[in-house]
Amino acid sequence: MLFDNTDFDYELSLFKIPGSDFSNTTKNAQFLEPLEAFIRGNSEKNTYVPYKKYTYLKLKPENEKEDLMLKLMAYSFIINDLNLYLDLNPNDMITFEKFKKYINEYNKLEMDIANKYGPLCLKETTKNNYDWLKNPWPWDKMGGSYYV
Amino acid sequence: MFKYVKHLNYPVNIQKKDLKMAKSLLTQFGGANSELAASLRYFSQKFTMPDEKGKALLNDIATEELGHCEMICTMVSQLVKDATVEELKEAGLDGMYAEHKKGVYPTDANGVPFTATYFAVTGDVIADLYEDMAAEQKARAVYENLIDMTTDEDVLGVLLFLRQREIVHFNRFKQLKDYYQEKGY
Repeated sequence: MLFDNTDFDYELSLFKIPGSDFSNTTKNAQFLEPLEAFIRGNSEKNTYVPYKKYTYLKLKPENEKEDLMLKLMAYSFIINDLNLYLDLNPNDMITFEKFKKYINEYNKLEMDIANKYGPLCLKETTKNNYDWLKNPWPWDKMGGSYYV
Repeated sequence: MFKYVKHLNYPVNIQKKDLKMAKSLLTQFGGANSELAASLRYFSQKFTMPDEKGKALLNDIATEELGHCEMICTMVSQLVKDATVEELKEAGLDGMYAEHKKGVYPTDANGVPFTATYFAVTGDVIADLYEDMAAEQKARAVYENLIDMTTDEDVLGVLLFLRQREIVHFNRFKQLKDYYQEKGY
């Protein structure tokens, strides 16, 4: 079963995000790493609430683009989740430092994806042709990719 | 102002057609406890939050919820994508097809159209935040009902993610409500 507790050992090493190891600042370690946070839908260590026997789906990127998109979504997710936390706790400097680091990683990755596969945002549509139309839209399956 | 990014908040890729599930799921786009109602409720309430914390949190959760609308609509459209008219009729979606073809139109699971009364804006910070806490709990309950109704992992994974977000948002609204009550609101 994809959703029972044995699925916690998903292959994180496959898509370990560089610079996301904050183990030397664990004094205030209430947040998970981006990918762990993302698949749970909750970046806090202590407030995750499973339903019945379910935990969460194991996401399996199948090629380089899917892998990059998954990382991007994970950064996007944790930036959003820390954003909500920081709205109420703006003086938590340890979390704010993580937040800034994730934003930098997100920006780098976004440009990397835009250069390789086309723009994710309108501001990246600056090449010789109007390639905003080229990328598949996120609601289209496009041959079974999870990560368009 | 909003800027669009070409990815979903969480990936959606449903392989199997399931018309009855599509009909049930539609309530999280157009029902009383839907992502659309949540997004527009917080969007409207942000204008009367008394300080930076409330304005920021209501604005930022409203934005996230709009992304969740996109996920729900994506699920519904993928679940009905390959269905024939005959199959839609058999699944009880004939009324929906007559009105909207396969257009994703905001109704609840019983076909009742979305209405602005779902916004529930009082202009009173404590009343609004209690409303928001209740809304998150109701949306969590609906997600659990929906989870009970499917065995498709492509659908379950997304529903579990969205259900967890309701829990996180409830916690944040409660923290904001407690903060305002301590300040004497």
